[in-house]
Amino acid sequence: MLLKLENVTKRFGGLVAVNKLDLEVEEGEALGIVGPNGSGKTTLYNLISGVYIPDEGKIIFEGKDITNLPPHKRAPLGLARTFQIPRPFGSASVRENVAIGAMFGRAHAGVDEALEMADEYLKIVGIYELRNKEAKLLTPLEKKLMELARALAMKPKLLLLDELLAGMNPKDIDKIIDLIKRVKEEENIAVVSMVEHLMHAITKFAERVVVMHQGRKLLEGPTIEVLNHPEVIEVYLGGRVV
Amino acid sequence: MFKFKSLIIPFAIYIILIAIGLSQPGLWQPIMYIMFYIGIGVALNNFMGLTGYVDFGYVAFLAMGAYGMGVALGYFTYLGIWAIPLGFVLALIFAALLCTAVGGVALRLRGAYFAIATIGVNEGLRYLIEGAKIWGGSEGIILSGKLRKTFGPEFANYLSTFVADAALIIIIFIASVITVYMINSRVGYALLAVREDEDAAKVMGINVTKYKLIAFFTSATIGAMIGASAWTLKLTYVFPEDVFFIHYTVEAIVIVMLGGAGTLLGPVVGGLIYGALKYYLSVILPGFQLLVFAPLLLVIVVAFPEGVVGFVKKKLQERGIIEYIT
Repeated sequence: MLLKLENVTKRFGGLVAVNKLDLEVEEGEALGIVGPNGSGKTTLYNLISGVYIPDEGKIIFEGKDITNLPPHKRAPLGLARTFQIPRPFGSASVRENVAIGAMFGRAHAGVDEALEMADEYLKIVGIYELRNKEAKLLTPLEKKLMELARALAMKPKLLLLDELLAGMNPKDIDKIIDLIKRVKEEENIAVVSMVEHLMHAITKFAERVVVMHQGRKLLEGPTIEVLNHPEVIEVYLGGRVV
Repeated sequence: MFKFKSLIIPFAIYIILIAIGLSQPGLWQPIMYIMFYIGIGVALNNFMGLTGYVDFGYVAFLAMGAYGMGVALGYFTYLGIWAIPLGFVLALIFAALLCTAVGGVALRLRGAYFAIATIGVNEGLRYLIEGAKIWGGSEGIILSGKLRKTFGPEFANYLSTFVADAALIIIIFIASVITVYMINSRVGYALLAVREDEDAAKVMGINVTKYKLIAFFTSATIGAMIGASAWTLKLTYVFPEDVFFIHYTVEAIVIVMLGGAGTLLGPVVGGLIYGALKYYLSVILPGFQLLVFAPLLLVIVVAFPEGVVGFVKKKLQERGIIEYIT
């Protein structure tokens, strides 16, 4: 077991964003998290990466209790994430952005080594030719690829992708899914991918999905089976959920 | 990889300035005036330029340095010549103490809140010293008599001219090396991330508080060294209303922004432009210098929002020849 959430709850005032959630991620697995807007997916990511501390429950990573660990202590253990809206270090070059990932993530590389790793990962995601560009000048797609390279350069054991594929055309989506699958196999990374609407993409990628609704886990299981479940369809089409 | 190529230009600037000062009679003091501005620019840049935090109370660190040297020379005069190294040590200790007190609390604040908190510290400290009559209170520490009595008039004069100036120059050289080292090390990359997006930096494994404190501490101690040499040693007195004068902070901020925050060469060029212009204008237009100076600075800041060096660096980056400019 790589990551385990036990009975995790996070409240914002009266709103319960994540409600008594249990979640398990195996080493090297591809997990999809789907759920409509406001179902608590991003809060869940923030809880795992340490941006928020849960009000109740426990988070265990590789057998270690990380519930109250600050984010900067979690990343070196092997956690990495991308953001729904990319957050590049704008005035730094693309290469420096990725190198920062390699320096402070689990890779813990020295400066020169990190810059070499940055080149390597930029080649993997296919934006090596942009390496000297200021990160803020990239297109949205390029920024997402750069964030992916930056997260991979951290050499994570668990990679959290936050709507990485949203807004991309089908051709790019296929390309990136292939890429993630390849790196995942090579480096044995567990990848959790969160999507709101791109169901066909999640079927290509995830072996297992968790459906979230109103902060709770609605269903969990093999991808196709779960996504065809009547309850899931109801959640998405706005039907009544018991 | 050798990363110190970028020291060539600033070192050349320092050496040329010193050469001009030594060869032209009457130009030594103006050159040291410019060197002082370069110094506070380089010192503040190590914090403000690298972290993006604006410290409006920065002069308090120069004041701590000035008091460190003042206390050593004023109260430990019997140590003779050893009072001077003691002065530098006390300057370091005072600055480090203030740094710990301010850094632990104020560095948790961001943006304008940090700036205002630091002003508060500066003013508070000044009134504490004046009100509680610490180290002479508002009357300050006057050293010229004591120095003359202890060291003799000639050596006292030598201290406040040659030793003070030489110390400032050495501090500036060392400070530049520290800046280059910081920019090119893990510290520099961590601070680059902090400057751009502190929350994203945290998630990427950067202990932001630690790196901000490193920059704060480095900058503060360099500032204290400058205060000890360029103020106390050179002027032979310490008055609280002078050493806590917020005007110097503002000047240092202007220099950093004028030259280019976060670059090595930026505060050097900024200090050179600022110091030279301020001196020249006060000679040719005495009384009106600020009237001319302010709009001139406005024009420069509008024309080069990233600072003069930031602008040049960007232009050169497009052509891929930036090895010598950091």
